[in-house]
Amino acid sequence: MAPVEPRATLGAPAPATAVMDQRNLAFVPRVLVVAVGTSVEFPNNDSVSHQVYSFSPAKKFQLPLYKGARHPPVTFDQEGLVVLGCNIHDGMAGYIYVTAAPFFGTTDATGTLRLTDLPIGDYRITLWSPLIADPPPSLIRTVHVDAQEVTTSRVQLARDLRARPEPRPRRSDWEY
Amino acid sequence: MRAWGHVICMIACLWAGLAMAEDQLNVDGELDLRWVHSNSELSFLDGGLGTLRFDPDRDGLQLGRAFVASRLRVTDIVTVHAVVDAYDDHDRNPVDLSELWAEVRPFPTSAIRWRVRLGAFFMPVSLENRGPGWSDVYSITPSALNSWLGEEFRTIGAEFEARWLGASSGYLGDLALVAAAYGWNDPAGALLADGGFSLTDRASTLFGGLGRPPIEFYHEIDRKPGYYGGLSWRHHDWLEIRALRYDNHADPGAATAAGGNAWRTRFSSFGARLEPTAHWTFITQYLDGDTAVGPDSAGYDQFRMTYHAAFGLASLNWSRERLTLRFDEFGTHQSSGFYGPPNNESGHAWTVGWMHDLGDHWQLAAEWIRVASTFPPRAEYGEPPAFLESQTQLAIRYRFHLGV
Repeated sequence: MAPVEPRATLGAPAPATAVMDQRNLAFVPRVLVVAVGTSVEFPNNDSVSHQVYSFSPAKKFQLPLYKGARHPPVTFDQEGLVVLGCNIHDGMAGYIYVTAAPFFGTTDATGTLRLTDLPIGDYRITLWSPLIADPPPSLIRTVHVDAQEVTTSRVQLARDLRARPEPRPRRSDWEY
Repeated sequence: MRAWGHVICMIACLWAGLAMAEDQLNVDGELDLRWVHSNSELSFLDGGLGTLRFDPDRDGLQLGRAFVASRLRVTDIVTVHAVVDAYDDHDRNPVDLSELWAEVRPFPTSAIRWRVRLGAFFMPVSLENRGPGWSDVYSITPSALNSWLGEEFRTIGAEFEARWLGASSGYLGDLALVAAAYGWNDPAGALLADGGFSLTDRASTLFGGLGRPPIEFYHEIDRKPGYYGGLSWRHHDWLEIRALRYDNHADPGAATAAGGNAWRTRFSSFGARLEPTAHWTFITQYLDGDTAVGPDSAGYDQFRMTYHAAFGLASLNWSRERLTLRFDEFGTHQSSGFYGPPNNESGHAWTVGWMHDLGDHWQLAAEWIRVASTFPPRAEYGEPPAFLESQTQLAIRYRFHLGV
């Protein structure tokens, strides 16, 4: 969520840190939203090794995560979507959404995101999820935030969500 | 290739020891002990024409399989894989290698990820044998189709795969293209021509042989490489579709001084595995091809045979249980080179498997197979051409995992 007319008073946020974990052959969380400049830690809480990579233009990197070995965090210094994969386990997929917007968050199980203490003004809201099939321009809303009232903006999707099957029970040593 | 075997084993053992200390080695192992009860004819492994691994002579306690499958990480992108097997049957080598290969798999820097495998390994056809050491994860015994691939085929050469990582690029799935060139697979087809299809989890090893007298599979006879090429489509985590064309390109007129023949064996294979929910798996595979042996100039004296095999499998997995039902259908048809009744086999089989995990290390597995088959050459041995065979197995398996 970004002000329609950016104001200097918002300033640049302090460099933040975040965590993208690996558990049970999956990225946890599956979707992580961070500000530009955030350093993300990639711990490995599985009993097997992983080799995390991204070939997304916003951040290309390769990060072998062997058991017992520590790796420095990865800094995401460019806006955009970073799709994560594991070179050992092809079924693993994760997303880091790097944003320049000063206010952002992840929706809860009901699809709701609450932002508080926003300065008064007009804001543009951008919504993204790997499951949403609607064209991105149709997901943009503008809202006016007032000091007195709770402002609500609803996005009703026109298309069905992309299929997201439950994770398959799979031993880490199974091949495709 | 026998002398090679000892050298490779020694190097592998030494390497394993060093790598353990380096923490780069991953080892999966299993010991499978079975109680077997069979109502089958004399097994093809004991010199008979029965279609199952165990016959009534081997009722009681048997070693199903003992194996160690290891993966050594040499660098971030290079791994070496070895599978060592023991089956406790008539094989010349009580312990033998069944796979040994190196894989180079660079990190993808674009949506195309490639990998190369070099060495001896299974071709990517079976959708059942996805466990360590090419073990079947749905029941004890793989389908007739995959049993045959385990017995007579190993890629001894190089395989190249290019995979378009569509799922990572916002598309529905991944598409992979695979191509391989290999040698030492000229005898492939001999066992099928001899006795038809079988249902067995007794795969061949690289340096041993199968059956009595033992047929050995991994020889280069005509000095011509074979090839295969295939496509696969992976739709998220729940659908895998594969097609592959195999041709060992053997010269059917070539033979060794010791009497080993090259068999020209070709087939097309198709398969799909659907996992629509976390609990259900459905697999179907189909294979159809031909094989020939003997010089072309001999005309009708050249032995020629076509064959096909197919199966459908449904498996339900919940909690620590897995229940699998499979129907197999298979057949061969001889078109020339008759010395007796034609090698025209037709058969079908039902398999019911149940697996129960007892914690991380132990598994109980039970399986019942019933095979009905007709094979005219049985008459030459004073047997009726039609057999109705069944086999019940109860296995206890201990598994271990070491490394990272």
